[in-house]
Amino acid sequence: MSTREQFQRWRYNFIPDHLIGEILSKRWADNAIPFLAMVVTVIGFGTAIPGFFKPNSLVESTRQLGEFSIVVTGLTVVMLAGGIDLSVSSIFALAAFAAVSGLFILDLPVWACLLAAVGVGAICGAINGYLIGYMRLRAFLTTLVTLVIGRAIYDILIVNFAAQVQQSDITSEVWDFIGDGKILGFSVSIITAVVIAIVAHIALTRSRPGWHILAVGGSRRSAHNSGIKVRQTVFMSYVISGMCAGLAGFLIACRLSGAGPGTGLNLEILAITAAVVGGNSLGGGRGSVAKAIMGAIIVLVMNNGLIRLGYGTGTNQMVLGLMLAVAVTIDIRWLKNRHKVLNEVYVTPIYHKMGETLSALPGDASPYALNNRISKTEYIGLGELEGPEDVILDRDDHLYCGTRHGEIVRFFAPDYKRSEIFAHIGGFPLGLAFDRQGNLLTCVGAMGLYGVSPKGEVTQLSAETDRTYTSIVDDARLRDPNDLDVGPDGKIYFTDSTTRYDAHDWAIDSIEGRPTGRLLVYDPATGKTRTLLDKYRYANGVCMAHDGKSLFFAESWACRVHRYWIEGPKAGTAECVIKDMPGYPDNINRASDGNYWMAWLGMRTPSFDLALRHPGFRKRMSRRLPQDEWLFPNINTGGVVKFSGDGTIVETLGDMTGQSHPMVTSMREHKGYLYVGGILNNRIGRLKLDGADTAWTGPTSYWGKRS
Amino acid sequence: MIFDPILDFFRGKAVTIPPMDGALKPNTLLEDAKILANVARPDCLAYDGASVIYASGNALHRLGVEEPVNTYGSVITALAISPRGQLAVGLNSGAVMLGGETLTGFTCPTALCFAGDDLLVCNGSENVAAENWVTDLMGHKASGSIWRVDATAGSRVCLARGLAYPNGVVAEAQSKRIVFSESWRHRLAVIPANGGAVTSVLPRLPAYPCRITPTPSGYLLALFAPLNRLVEFVLQEDDYRADMLREIESRYWIAPTLTAAHSFLEPLQNGGVKSMGVHKPWSPTRSYGLLVTLDADFRPVSSFHSRANGRYHGVTSAIEVAGNYIVASKGGNAILSIDARVGES
Repeated sequence: MSTREQFQRWRYNFIPDHLIGEILSKRWADNAIPFLAMVVTVIGFGTAIPGFFKPNSLVESTRQLGEFSIVVTGLTVVMLAGGIDLSVSSIFALAAFAAVSGLFILDLPVWACLLAAVGVGAICGAINGYLIGYMRLRAFLTTLVTLVIGRAIYDILIVNFAAQVQQSDITSEVWDFIGDGKILGFSVSIITAVVIAIVAHIALTRSRPGWHILAVGGSRRSAHNSGIKVRQTVFMSYVISGMCAGLAGFLIACRLSGAGPGTGLNLEILAITAAVVGGNSLGGGRGSVAKAIMGAIIVLVMNNGLIRLGYGTGTNQMVLGLMLAVAVTIDIRWLKNRHKVLNEVYVTPIYHKMGETLSALPGDASPYALNNRISKTEYIGLGELEGPEDVILDRDDHLYCGTRHGEIVRFFAPDYKRSEIFAHIGGFPLGLAFDRQGNLLTCVGAMGLYGVSPKGEVTQLSAETDRTYTSIVDDARLRDPNDLDVGPDGKIYFTDSTTRYDAHDWAIDSIEGRPTGRLLVYDPATGKTRTLLDKYRYANGVCMAHDGKSLFFAESWACRVHRYWIEGPKAGTAECVIKDMPGYPDNINRASDGNYWMAWLGMRTPSFDLALRHPGFRKRMSRRLPQDEWLFPNINTGGVVKFSGDGTIVETLGDMTGQSHPMVTSMREHKGYLYVGGILNNRIGRLKLDGADTAWTGPTSYWGKRS
Repeated sequence: MIFDPILDFFRGKAVTIPPMDGALKPNTLLEDAKILANVARPDCLAYDGASVIYASGNALHRLGVEEPVNTYGSVITALAISPRGQLAVGLNSGAVMLGGETLTGFTCPTALCFAGDDLLVCNGSENVAAENWVTDLMGHKASGSIWRVDATAGSRVCLARGLAYPNGVVAEAQSKRIVFSESWRHRLAVIPANGGAVTSVLPRLPAYPCRITPTPSGYLLALFAPLNRLVEFVLQEDDYRADMLREIESRYWIAPTLTAAHSFLEPLQNGGVKSMGVHKPWSPTRSYGLLVTLDADFRPVSSFHSRANGRYHGVTSAIEVAGNYIVASKGGNAILSIDARVGES
């Protein structure tokens, strides 16, 4: 191995770049960036400012945070509905004035002041909502107008009544408690904020009005078409935002016991920055309360931190502006292109050197030499079938196969001209097997292990196995269950080919070559599935040995066949019995003469084998070329191979014309005939086997004569 | 978008090729063309005023006649017949036979053309013989040249050098220009009749151009293989390409080819996977059949295709005879005939 190859091996096999794609495909990945930003901000300013984490300081900070995050939560609701509310700062100020004047001038009880503040917020919000929701005015301009007018009214009021408020000698213990008191060490405002956040979160994610808000923000037209009252929903979102701003105004009034010209000034910039920095989309429909809270923390800590570090207003505004710019850019560029980035980074090939192989060229002196024996088969279901990955025959000679439409089709003996849909499962039924009771068991791609009774009733047997706690993808889920066989004790042994790709992307797994395939066992007695073996390059066909003491399974992309021992001295271990084949093995099944049939789904090519030693080449290929142009293994030519229990190749059948069976994924021997299926084919082939036992059938071989 | 150049640094620029559109919009006219003869690897069509002459391996044939006109010591790679009936033949050995004489000094005669009393010779490469063109392409070579040989005196001048595999040449009837196809740069280019600067006349072809022959209304251009994005990508991947050239037989390379895929050891691209018994005609392919008619200003007018799922790939030569296009599909082992009026409609 050259130095370059050594380096490539080291670089691509030991640096886990596949984790980036796995993390990006998680739904929580959207929250990761604001969360990281929040942690960095808090730790950064926490260490730069002495005493930041002292309890007193924290309580004071959180008091302010409580008010602020209530405003941001309200604004987030508007943004989720696809709008924007610039007027929060003047609503906030007007509400504060309403509360202050209620208490200090009119001598109202505190609850009435609260109502006044929230009421002012609701009225202002309703004005916004009416203009934007029902009159269909532009949200930005409308709320800008209400911002300016609201501020003007507030300024007039404060000039005329500030002196009266200050000279008032009215006091209230409740008022002071709300402003300064603590419950279990938490300020009233932060508790209020938490309650509001929880209510808003539940309402948005789990209630009809909340879903309506998200639907309207996501697509106004679709929401309208699906019967949602769009105008009313928009109206309500502004009312909610106004009420939140009103509540926050009440809280600040309690804390400051007064209102001044500076109350709520520039709050709209802070609030919008917080909502966007948290990751809520300006376009609407995408975001959450959690994001709003994270954004509020980031912005407030940064804002206050800069003040406490002695930076002036200019610097502060500049930092806010830059944060907003960065957040908006990320919002537009990142959220919009996230799936493209995921596409580009998901395929992360590793280095793999395939072993030297014997030739499969026709006429060569090699046990693997292909011929044309399956090029002229009798076709079954030509033009009706799509994608019979596996085929199987029952005791009455009826033929079953899966299709890519999620059905199991039954062809009736003896001529297989008539067919019916035996069962509809969904997914993509792949491997098939009969158990002792005559139930048809199947591995369904993208779904799990299923059983179909002789009457056609479908039951799910298993859809999950043990979770590996170190893996980022949820590998408990069966992503690509592929083939199965049943042990004498009724346990079902099956493979899950890869944890990296869905069933229909199975061929792309070959480009990556990561060993994530597993051998699993389902125990019908307990209903539980366990992982027996892990880390195979696309674990595929499974076949119980004739004596039932071991099983064979194929490792497709490594071109190997392994034997797993169920009992005996080697129980629980696997050994490789065939390695370095020139073709990629798929399903394995019993032959009547005590040997085993193995399907080849495709052939190795020198160019692809070389590419496996160039992971960087494959990685760049996956990023720079569209998927249709990617180099694949040659899966346009397959074959059928018969091997003995010790791994000796007995014979090889092929179709060099590519007309009948370009790719072979399964074959089943039954009464002297071989039935051939292919996952990308539109027919089943039937071939007379010379000299084969014309009485031998699979069910008899497994379960004995009919009882 | 201004971010793209920055992002390209991380993600790599997409590999793109010109689309087959406009006059090059795909059809199956070549696939459905009338078969004149099934012969092994026909090439180098010419018309001597009485019948069509073609090369097949070492032998020169008259169309429809079993017995060869002449055989040579090496595969015939270029052919021209002068208006006076003089024959010029280029061989894979590098020799160019003119009348009874052998001109030496060439390595890779790919195309010949008489211009008055002179013979124009395309020497595709200094590195390889004409049959081994794929090595020249995958090796990123550009060592081709065009020569003017005085047929009577035997003297020669080099008109242009450093060309990326000149593979077809024609002297314009009226003006003093020589037009040639430059395969590895996917273009038709022009030089003054006495040599000089090379300029493009038809750049950005979606396939590798080959022989070009005059017709009454313009020219016929044969294109022997399609551009393929995977091949273009491999051409940028130096490590992989070096290993491929060193370790793998050339017929199994990720490279253009004249013949439609027939071995399972050849590379396969995702789009070329047969599904439900169908090989998609628009799938990425390493071989293709393409003939283009050009007007007198070398603008494409119409085209004739044998697509990814077709048989008549690797068109290396075509001529117009009596209102029919006679086409040699070297990869499809056939000589085909298309009514010239089909292209006009």
